[in-house]
Amino acid sequence: MSLKRITKELNDLGRDPPTSCSAGPVGDDLYHWQASIMGPPDSPYAGGVFFLSIHFPTDYPFKPPKISFTTKIYHPNINANGNICLDILKDQWSPALTISKVLLSICSLLTDANPDDPLVPEIAHIYKTDRAKYEATAKEWTKKYAV
Amino acid sequence: MVYSAKMLNDLSGDEDSVELEFESDSEFNDDEYGEGSDTSDELLYKNDKKKTDYLDSINQKESLDRKPLENGYENDGVPRLTYNCLTTDQIYDLVLLRLDRIQPIFDCPYGDIIVMLQKYGWSEERLLEDWTEFEDKVLISCGLKVAKQIGCSRGLQNHPDFLCHICCESNKRKSFRLECGHEYCLECYQHYIKDKLLEGKVITCMGCSLALKNCDIDAIAGENSSQVLMRSSIKGFIQKHSNHYKWCPFVDCNCVIQVNNISTLSEFPRFHLSPYVVCKNHHRFCFKCGLESHAPGDCQVAEVWVKMAQMESANLNWVLKNTKECPKCGVNIEKNGGCNHMTCQSCDYEFCWICELCWKGHGGGYYECTRFKKDENNGAPETKNSLRKYTFYYKLFSEHENSAKLDWALGLAVEQKVKALQENIGLSWIETQFLPESIRALIEGRTTLKWSFPVAFYSDPSHNLTKIFVDNQALLVGAVESLSQLLQVKEPQDIINRKLEFFNKAKFVESRNKALSECGRDLLCKGICIARTT
Repeated sequence: MSLKRITKELNDLGRDPPTSCSAGPVGDDLYHWQASIMGPPDSPYAGGVFFLSIHFPTDYPFKPPKISFTTKIYHPNINANGNICLDILKDQWSPALTISKVLLSICSLLTDANPDDPLVPEIAHIYKTDRAKYEATAKEWTKKYAV
Repeated sequence: MVYSAKMLNDLSGDEDSVELEFESDSEFNDDEYGEGSDTSDELLYKNDKKKTDYLDSINQKESLDRKPLENGYENDGVPRLTYNCLTTDQIYDLVLLRLDRIQPIFDCPYGDIIVMLQKYGWSEERLLEDWTEFEDKVLISCGLKVAKQIGCSRGLQNHPDFLCHICCESNKRKSFRLECGHEYCLECYQHYIKDKLLEGKVITCMGCSLALKNCDIDAIAGENSSQVLMRSSIKGFIQKHSNHYKWCPFVDCNCVIQVNNISTLSEFPRFHLSPYVVCKNHHRFCFKCGLESHAPGDCQVAEVWVKMAQMESANLNWVLKNTKECPKCGVNIEKNGGCNHMTCQSCDYEFCWICELCWKGHGGGYYECTRFKKDENNGAPETKNSLRKYTFYYKLFSEHENSAKLDWALGLAVEQKVKALQENIGLSWIETQFLPESIRALIEGRTTLKWSFPVAFYSDPSHNLTKIFVDNQALLVGAVESLSQLLQVKEPQDIINRKLEFFNKAKFVESRNKALSECGRDLLCKGICIARTT
């Protein structure tokens, strides 16, 4: 059942690709995808291309896909292993969500971080107290790892 | 049950009603215990009249011990907790009783009220407040009503050919939809709901936040499915009311302890006592810190000890594995290479790493020791090394912890013995009770012993009272071991013949247990035992 749904999502992405994101299977395995997100222009990540890996569970879409950044990124809600703290990837997941919608949510997370529910408290602290320093570091990391 | 609807019109400024939550303690408890009425107990245990295993018999005894109290205090001013041991189903029944009272205000099914209460964090107060002012807004925000009707009916739908957006399959004949218009096939809905029933959270439409009602859930997932969900939702209720309710921390135990007089809780630390509760499966634990019974230590001793054990265990394991103490001065030495001819850097003592004896006897040429290691008592002086002291107590602590685990297994074996006695020798239930009572005394004695080591560790060793405490410890060790040995007796007739012995030894353990606990409390009250992180 999940295969049909994943194929459908793949076709929809091909037909009507969302702006600034792309995604598709890595090899023959339809349950393992790679995605890329362009750093949003109004964020310190502008100009960077960030890669993510997507693993679909066998009971997708009833369980959320496992998504993590493979490109290093400086962000309060994304840790050094690339894990993302996003409610719709955990308890707020709904079977009606799609990869395309999730990628767009991650894009908006890049523009508007959520420092009150941080995965990396140190970055969240800098984000809240010294915004300029946060932006400078994020820009530097983008230049170093994502360009 | 007087406790329920009183709060609706009784918002006077008395202390307990400040944090009026689902049950305010003043009404519930004092009635029950102050007047010695048993009505609520009867109600709570109505589904649970079976008294088959030995654990129940113990509980029965405990409840007989419980005397009527005045304001939750015993005569000597020592605080005492009053509590019930419930299952989640019993709590659910209590919640339903409670809903009986407020249901007329809402005039909607219980399921819907529970959905609203979950949204309001089980705070009836806040819900009622909002409800009286903006009924419609509450319904919409809780997902019980659509903000704008779009003419879609709720319920199961039949189609000749339906394409489901979840599984992306066509040719579906049955589907389900809510007033929001989101429609998915029945199979997908069933799959979706099945996973969520045990989570106990509100189940919403897959496409928006409109809530599925109990009748919808039953229609999709089968009769009584909504009951499973409703009962699971009690977990959230317990979490929100963690002041009054606590899960039994023992593995696989599903009991919930409900404390009635929570205002008494704050009184315990002053007496260096802990609010112990016993669940139906005879697990005794501290309601304050959630650890098992840790007398004679108080919560502070237990907390510091556990923290230290967590921090030290990694260190300790490494030290025990990779180092040896200098046989002369006792300093810890790590051998990180080289031969077995060691020279202690602290006292210049030369010894052999293998046999830990003086190097002199090894002669010049040997680098491999073949001497048999002698007994350890060859004159290493008593060291003041705190790690060594800690290791000593930690070993004793964990040894008794292991023994306690074995005692639980023994308890289960005893249960079998009791059954055998009843069946083979034809003894009545009451005549065999000395066995489970012995095992109870044994387990409690063992737990007290275990936690007496942290108290000994944190006590001033030079004080006379500490010496008395250590003597008391030794007496309890003797009593516990002797009882433990007696409990190994297997022959049924032999057990009966030695009934008096069982009785005496169990009583002895109980009295030694009490003495050691009191002595430990004395150490704490007099400030001789002070637990602090080093």
